[in-house]
Amino acid sequence: MTSTTVPVQPRTSIGKFLVQGGTTIALLALIVFFFAMRPDVFLTFTNVRNILFQVSILAIVAGAQTLVMVVGDFDLSLAATSSLSGAVVASLMLGGMPLAPAILIGLIVGLLIGIGNGLLVAYLNLSAFVATLATMTSVIGLAYLVTQGTTLFNLPPGFNALGQGRLLNVPLPVYIAILIGVILWAVLRFTTTGRKWYAIGGNVEVSRLSGINVRRGRLMAFAAAGLISAIAGILLAARLGSGSAVQGSDNLLFSVAAVFLGMTVIKSGQANLVGTMVGVAIIGVMSNGLNILGVNSYVQQVVTGLIIIAAVTLSSLKTRER
Amino acid sequence: MRRRTTAFAAIVAVAAMALAGCSSSGGGGGDTGGGSGSDDPFKVIAFTSGNQTPIGAWWVKAVQAKADENGWDLTMIQGDFDFQKMNPQVESAIGQGADAIFDGFTDYASIGSIITAAKDADIPIFAMDSGTEATDGFVVNITTNQQKLVDSTLGALDESLGGLKGKNIMVIGHDPHPGIRLRASLAEKDLKAAGAVIAGGEIQKVKSPATGRTEALAIVADYLTAHPDGLDAVWVGWDDAALGASKAIDEAGSDAKVTGSDATSEAIAAIQAGGSFLATINQPWPEVLDTVTDDIIAFQKDGTMPKENFIAVDTTLVDKDNAADITPSDKL
Repeated sequence: MTSTTVPVQPRTSIGKFLVQGGTTIALLALIVFFFAMRPDVFLTFTNVRNILFQVSILAIVAGAQTLVMVVGDFDLSLAATSSLSGAVVASLMLGGMPLAPAILIGLIVGLLIGIGNGLLVAYLNLSAFVATLATMTSVIGLAYLVTQGTTLFNLPPGFNALGQGRLLNVPLPVYIAILIGVILWAVLRFTTTGRKWYAIGGNVEVSRLSGINVRRGRLMAFAAAGLISAIAGILLAARLGSGSAVQGSDNLLFSVAAVFLGMTVIKSGQANLVGTMVGVAIIGVMSNGLNILGVNSYVQQVVTGLIIIAAVTLSSLKTRER
Repeated sequence: MRRRTTAFAAIVAVAAMALAGCSSSGGGGGDTGGGSGSDDPFKVIAFTSGNQTPIGAWWVKAVQAKADENGWDLTMIQGDFDFQKMNPQVESAIGQGADAIFDGFTDYASIGSIITAAKDADIPIFAMDSGTEATDGFVVNITTNQQKLVDSTLGALDESLGGLKGKNIMVIGHDPHPGIRLRASLAEKDLKAAGAVIAGGEIQKVKSPATGRTEALAIVADYLTAHPDGLDAVWVGWDDAALGASKAIDEAGSDAKVTGSDATSEAIAAIQAGGSFLATINQPWPEVLDTVTDDIIAFQKDGTMPKENFIAVDTTLVDKDNAADITPSDKL
């Protein structure tokens, strides 16, 4: 009987871990480069806080994307789901609903979309690409219906504080992103559910023969991703003080890029939370660093793609050497 | 086999006759309107790619109301910024015949195939805010005067900052939108002429309107981190991105001022709140719609064409003094 590939992360020192993959090297190289270019600015508390604030929402969406990619699928509707959840919460609060139930309903919206995706992929056997693409299309339409194509604003200060408030001079979304990241990491690393998800992503058939309920596992991964992306969308609405149908739409592409970058961090090449956060850090550091250097945004776009290719290529070369 | 061939030939013949019937009954434009005196209702094809924006959504409803009011047979096509989807739909409608075409907020550069199809069918295109310069493709295009818009916003900054000379002013634009592209370049030119320093050395370009607010927020936040006292103002080509810039300035505790354009309700509220958002621009779209509608009615009546094919109307600066009197563009 063939065994499933459950990635057992090697117990290496932090130093060895950091130099293990090209992606990590790329991140360190970027930090050193930008620090060398602007030593007076780049690693200051204010700027590091800036970077963390700017990537906190992306980190949450990328964490959700990681879960789905661990089971071997991906979800194109996550950014749209997050926008819809934020818009729903904004709309409900503007309609007079108190903060807590509005947020709860926003989370339920995300969860339901995730469950819908899971049912389509796991139980109706649609390809994740087709199913989530279709869901994304409908969800964007729903978001336009909820917002009537406008930007919803004048949200309660208590809600805005979730995205704009600070604790020890660090924005709240940073703490929330770290908390969610740690929870997801622990779920993937230490729980039976996480192990099952990795087993499903490694080999569906072997997982099934091993007694794992593959369908339920995939459904749970999509449902969790929908719920987590809803948290991201609600936080984004609070951070901007407004909700619209398309805000945060770039998080889809960047979340997939972050997970792919992160897959190069560990030997097994599977999606993993720590790697995803390294990928998120690369995207955030690069955007911030290039802004500080005053690089044209079109050039930034080109450079971002090239850096991702370089990091993945470097990692691939290292793998071949082994 | 012979029976199949005969059946296939019969189907082709029937289809060809049906198509011929369709084309002879509806093909070619301008046969029922333009003062022809026909009893058929005046057929208008209206289209916009910007129906998902607040102003575009207002335009769709407003044109439908105008059509009801004037008894037009209206075909409304909404493009969702997808020209690959919208253009063939409009061309197909043109193929079925119409008397006039009404373009709302869709730049002529994106609808070359529609302009060609309309010319071939001899159907005039009336437009509003569909390009920043005259084109033979439209019998009229009424838009706003971009130079005066820039003059107003820079004037507000000049007054607020006590002069522009030597001031560090960032310009944020978005190239794919022709109006924003033009006014951003005019603002950059005029600021340089006034002796201001363009922060970042050039126009800062937002890549996507969908993420304009977060992109502008990151650009300004990062700039202020690198140059804590290096920003006196941010001139932004549209309100959504201006709100992002304003948030970055407020969060950084900077005294810099921001101007936008569009007069959205959120921008007007920010101006009234008295933070960094100094002013925006109100563009008179309801009045422009009335004028273009009058042009279409004149053509419907006796074939009269507009005298000019490009008109740029004045805009209104919205600041703290008059903000309460302005109808926001997303509440039209």
